[in-house]
Amino acid sequence: MTHRKKNRNVGIIGIGQTKYSSHREDVNQPEMIHEAVEAALKDAGITMKDVDCVVHGNMELFEMIHQPDLWHTIGTGACGKDCIRITTGGTVGATISCAADNLIASGMYDIVMAIGFEKLQEGHTTGGITNMADALWFRNLQTGALTGSKAYDVIREFGEERAKRVSMKYRIIMDKHAMRNPKAHRAFGLEFEQMDNLIKTSPKLVGDLKLIEMCSQSDGACVVIYACEKKAKQLSKNPVWIRDHITVHREEVFVMFGYDEKYPFPMTHRFAAEQLYKRNGIDSPVEYFDVFEMYDPASWWAVDWIRDFFQLKGDEHLKLVENEEIMIGGKMPINPSGGVIASNPIGATALVRIAEAALQIRGDAGDHQIPTPVSHALASGFGGTMWTVLTMLEKELNW
Amino acid sequence: MSEYWGIKVEDIFNTMPERFRPEGAKGVNACFGYDIKGEGKWKLTVANETLKVEKTGDLTGCVSVMLADGETFVGVNTGKVDGVSAFTSGRVTVEGDFSAFGKTAKMFKKYVNGKKEMSTRDYILDMFGTLVSRFQPNAIPGLDAKVCYDIGGNDGGVWTAIIKEGKCELVEGKADRPTTILHVNEAKDWVDVMLGKSDPFTLLSAGRASIEGETQIALKLGEIFAKYKSPIPEGEPEQELIALKKVISVNQRFATGPVMGKFLNALKEKKIYTNKCPKCGRIHLPAREVCAECRVRADEWLEVGPKGQVRYMEYVYYSSPDPLTGETRETPYGMVNILLDGCKGNDTFAHLIRRDQIDKIKGGNNEVAGTRVRPVWNEHRVGSIFDIKYFEIDE
Repeated sequence: MTHRKKNRNVGIIGIGQTKYSSHREDVNQPEMIHEAVEAALKDAGITMKDVDCVVHGNMELFEMIHQPDLWHTIGTGACGKDCIRITTGGTVGATISCAADNLIASGMYDIVMAIGFEKLQEGHTTGGITNMADALWFRNLQTGALTGSKAYDVIREFGEERAKRVSMKYRIIMDKHAMRNPKAHRAFGLEFEQMDNLIKTSPKLVGDLKLIEMCSQSDGACVVIYACEKKAKQLSKNPVWIRDHITVHREEVFVMFGYDEKYPFPMTHRFAAEQLYKRNGIDSPVEYFDVFEMYDPASWWAVDWIRDFFQLKGDEHLKLVENEEIMIGGKMPINPSGGVIASNPIGATALVRIAEAALQIRGDAGDHQIPTPVSHALASGFGGTMWTVLTMLEKELNW
Repeated sequence: MSEYWGIKVEDIFNTMPERFRPEGAKGVNACFGYDIKGEGKWKLTVANETLKVEKTGDLTGCVSVMLADGETFVGVNTGKVDGVSAFTSGRVTVEGDFSAFGKTAKMFKKYVNGKKEMSTRDYILDMFGTLVSRFQPNAIPGLDAKVCYDIGGNDGGVWTAIIKEGKCELVEGKADRPTTILHVNEAKDWVDVMLGKSDPFTLLSAGRASIEGETQIALKLGEIFAKYKSPIPEGEPEQELIALKKVISVNQRFATGPVMGKFLNALKEKKIYTNKCPKCGRIHLPAREVCAECRVRADEWLEVGPKGQVRYMEYVYYSSPDPLTGETRETPYGMVNILLDGCKGNDTFAHLIRRDQIDKIKGGNNEVAGTRVRPVWNEHRVGSIFDIKYFEIDE
């Protein structure tokens, strides 16, 4: 795979998010998006006149609107501008960020606005996700994004008691983070003392995946404004640089449950991380990164994916959770925002990871800012059935 | 029995028969239990689209029992508390069959406060009942006052709000040395003021009300306490918000192409055909035109199965509605990945397992073989995934 260096550097100069919520019936889609557009422009200190191109994305079938970018023009301000619509499933928020980065790095545009949104209450999430599966066969079997397979795997590898406690501990840590993020959708005020009770009482969805361990369905929008190095330095006191991003795609994987050790199934998260670190000369990602905003749709997946993303071995990933190293103030803070498990406006979700990682680097995350300086951040995007986008963000232009 | 937002737990249960929707209870024949902490236990019996509600200590035989405290129960039923949050955070729990419990959601019309009209006395009681919750400590920081309300007429009464150190307490009667006393001759007049139908200055100038003590505090009551809202919705909503409801129903036809066509046609003959990647040896289930990993045509056909061993089963407790049919599958059900005879590695075949056998299914791996299963074929086969009804244990 050929991967060349950028023609020019790209920095984030503006970030805007709505509050994430179970329903926003007080506004329609363009009005909701406008809230985030306005906040991002204000944050960047520019107006729509300065924006050269708008990249717009969400889940293709969730609200059943064929070209929502047309309707949304009244909220985005894209009238008369180049507008590119991208829809790549769960990863879309990360993909629009990659596109914005590439569009500027190529020299085509100086300032690009990426808009990710979802109003999940206006459509049918499970219907949308099920329609992802191939129409000839798997659509008949699949129902939505729920699976107990990861719980099965972690329990098989580490034993039932430890596995269940790690998953629930991760969930409670995310809630503790969400309690500090006023934009988070779900923040319950869970305590570690509730762990055993929640393991017992939270209703099971599929296998050992419990209701509380699964992400919410949220409404909301996120907007991030990108600029070329020259403009970024002119316009922003503290631009956050996009160092690199990688996307690893694959065919849908409904048939991967063979459990035959002789035929290990290549996972895109581990593969993507490996490639990204190799080409950027990063030997120990846990040492290198100061914060990681991970696309964590459920706590079982999250716990397992920490191992893939950080190239860990054995039970190192479980120890990071058990020893609270992933908490704000820990050695490897993960999702100070509360993560996807707290807020999941799907088309915006992966862009929120990048926005939150950038806020951490700027030191502007408010109550959920991690206390130590943040220079290097990682953000992930995930889409079904299994593919990955990873983005590396930096405080300094010194790599 | 405590009241929450002016509603008792038993109000919710007592109105269930009139809120019952027989069309939402089609095909449901079961008992559902409710154990409301400190309030009691109720049992709902649903059979042949009829409902019986009883308060009983005995919840045996219920397919599910919902446990909650009174406030959460009333809150969820009246929209004051977000049901999903209450459920997710464990303030509401369900014992027994979780998915059966889910069916109760469709059986009832929404609870609306039973009172269609409120008398002057009802309003007066509701206004003072909500006074403490409407107190706004930041309106006048450091306020130290006793505000006495002397409401006349048959529907009236005397109350005193004692405000000190950012807190408000309401006591019945006139407290010792009040800062301000508001005298209103007729309770009805005060209700009209509170509902915004008349203003206090009209009452004062007409001599139908008077202020004794510090006038300033009486004039600031509108800031000290948030506006009273009638529990009965009336008049125009604050914003013109409408949610438009749409249903999209689409007929679709998908071409199979020759490879999937051959695979699906073989099912009519009760055979599972597949094709193999000439490079890596991967066997596709279902058949695929190319091996996506090697990017070469998979043109070697072979017959596998139809028996095999289960490698993994999704034990599904919660069923989302199938967007293709709108139906919800009966739960729990099992979706299995079967390693058909003649296959290897991850080349498993995904299908459903006979529902009454899901608790007997064991997944396999390198060390242990999974449960042996065989397909149960449909008599009428059309070349679709459901030419196989499901798999069952091969005994």
